[in-house]
Amino acid sequence: MNASSIIETVRLTRDYKAVRAVDGLTLSVAAGELFGLVGPDGAGKTTTLRLLAGLLEVSEGEATVLGFDLKEKAESIKSHIGYMAQQFSLYGELSVMENLQFFAELFDVDSKDMAERAERLLTFAGLTEFKERRAVDLSGGMQKKLALACTLIHQPEILLLDEPTTGVDPISRREFWNILTELHLQGTTIIVSTPYMDEADRCSRVGLMYAGKLVECDSPKKIREKLEGDIIEIQPEDWQKSLKTVSGLSGVREAQTYGESIHLLVDSGKRRLPEIKRAMKSSRLKYRSIRIAPARMEEAFISLIRKLEA
Amino acid sequence: MSLNHIWAVTRKEFNHIVRDRSTLILVLFMPTLLLLLMAYALTVDLKHIPIAVLDFDHSQTSQAFIRQITAGQDLDLYASATSMDEINSMMMHGQIKAAIIISPGFAADLQALKGLSIQVIIDGTEPQGGEFAVQHISQRAEEFINGALVSQLRAQGITLDTLQPLDIRMQTWFNPDLKERNALIPGLLSMVLGFPALSVALTLAHEREHGTLEQLLATPIGRAELLLGKIIPYIVVGLINVILIPLLSIAWFHISFNGNFLLFFGLSALFMFAVLSMGMIIGVFMQTQAAALALSFLLIFFPGFFLTGIFFPLVSMPEEARLEAMFLPGTHYAIITRGTFLPGVGLDVLWPYAVMLVILGVAYSAVAALFFKKKLG
Repeated sequence: MNASSIIETVRLTRDYKAVRAVDGLTLSVAAGELFGLVGPDGAGKTTTLRLLAGLLEVSEGEATVLGFDLKEKAESIKSHIGYMAQQFSLYGELSVMENLQFFAELFDVDSKDMAERAERLLTFAGLTEFKERRAVDLSGGMQKKLALACTLIHQPEILLLDEPTTGVDPISRREFWNILTELHLQGTTIIVSTPYMDEADRCSRVGLMYAGKLVECDSPKKIREKLEGDIIEIQPEDWQKSLKTVSGLSGVREAQTYGESIHLLVDSGKRRLPEIKRAMKSSRLKYRSIRIAPARMEEAFISLIRKLEA
Repeated sequence: MSLNHIWAVTRKEFNHIVRDRSTLILVLFMPTLLLLLMAYALTVDLKHIPIAVLDFDHSQTSQAFIRQITAGQDLDLYASATSMDEINSMMMHGQIKAAIIISPGFAADLQALKGLSIQVIIDGTEPQGGEFAVQHISQRAEEFINGALVSQLRAQGITLDTLQPLDIRMQTWFNPDLKERNALIPGLLSMVLGFPALSVALTLAHEREHGTLEQLLATPIGRAELLLGKIIPYIVVGLINVILIPLLSIAWFHISFNGNFLLFFGLSALFMFAVLSMGMIIGVFMQTQAAALALSFLLIFFPGFFLTGIFFPLVSMPEEARLEAMFLPGTHYAIITRGTFLPGVGLDVLWPYAVMLVILGVAYSAVAALFFKKKLG
């Protein structure tokens, strides 16, 4: 066991009636980490977070959060963590301030601290001018930020966030992540699940879940490096014809279009780049540019999943 | 147990009730509407029941008999039939609820004091109307025979003054006019005042469906704190109804309230606690509002109708039903409402029912808290 680890699970398992949602998860998260949990839908991310939040019975295995045994002391964990559910929903009839106050009271924050923190959190979340507005009248992005503020009101040592930015516009998403980065800098331990690979890239460590198991766990950089092969990016003049031509070439594992440019995942960039140029030329297809591009988290992720599915 | 936690939940729930207009209307006025609706629907006096007559006697006596039967507003002569087929057809078409067949020897039999040779047929698909007709016809027939008897006795020189008829002096206590509503409404109160139980049953499922429950479960709030905090606002709203509904009964239906109102209010609070805890058990077990609603009707409202003794006396129920009725707060509360309204009895009579309400309330809330887990799935 790592001395500085704040969350520790050993073969943690959770069964629902017919499925094993989390299957022998062994994970150790150190204090102060910003840990990203990624994986396809149904991989067990939500179940993992709910287990860590003390919301589900453990079927098998061991887990401690802040030294509290999840099986015995789940209730004691709750005052130390801030958990934000995926379908987080606020009390619509309550105002922004009343929502904050409600959670402050449930977490036994005294009223002096509450006033001070509410002020700070509202500024932090950019909600100060909306504090009298009813939650139901806030935009989706503002609701998420209010939800985050509600989970922060008791200054939890650990934040468990389940896909907090799903369905939020890019600007709100960036603002939300700026807040998380700020909290990370202040030393809060954060575990966040996300379907967005650019968000995974902002974590200090990423765990990839697949079919209830943790199949990869490393820094984003290391995970990107695990991508076997390279990305070739083409800006063709006729992308439809070009796509047909290049996607069938040997060594091309995958072809994706981004607007009118084509991204190819190939086994070896060095070897395939000349071949692709030749193929384009012989089909009389012109391109504005063609180059070996750095792999992104998304490609790494997809290729890892493909390999697991095979 | 933290009072702050309970108070936080209570305040939140209050805001929900007050700010969500449909919830507010539901909990505040539904009992009133239910009472009005049921009081009118359930005390309809039977009148103008259509009947047909098939007279084989064709005598003056039989004609007089028919006139006597159909005098007044109770029975209306729909048609004079000429054959059984006609009666059959009218019955089939729902045009008549009962038919009287007068035998050929009707006048002669009466003359010979051999009784009345009539036959009455009723429509069994709507027994109330038919039974009402039978009751009415036998009463009128009796009067008719009496009339015939008297005139025959007179003919033999015996006057009525020398007879000693049976003399029953009947007295009705508590409800001297025997008005049906006087008896019905205090009983109905026990049903309509239990209505907030429905809202309580829905409140947990509502949070489950909206995803707010998951968030609540992730806080350190105790489960008893959460359930209590949720029940309290509905007890308060229920008690507003405990004031409104008797006022309505007194002002609108002119029911007299002879008991002690403070006692009534206190016992009503016990009832609220018991019946709302019952609603909470439903909320704890049901995952969706639709399921909670269906089960509330099954466990609280239908038994409230049939088992609490409002419409059918408890003593005439089979043992199992009576045992089941003991578990319904409404059974005990119906005795309390009836007792405090008309006879105006006090705690010296009502204490066992108050004790039962306390027992049920404590038991039900304990069951709810025990089975409510701060876990998902």
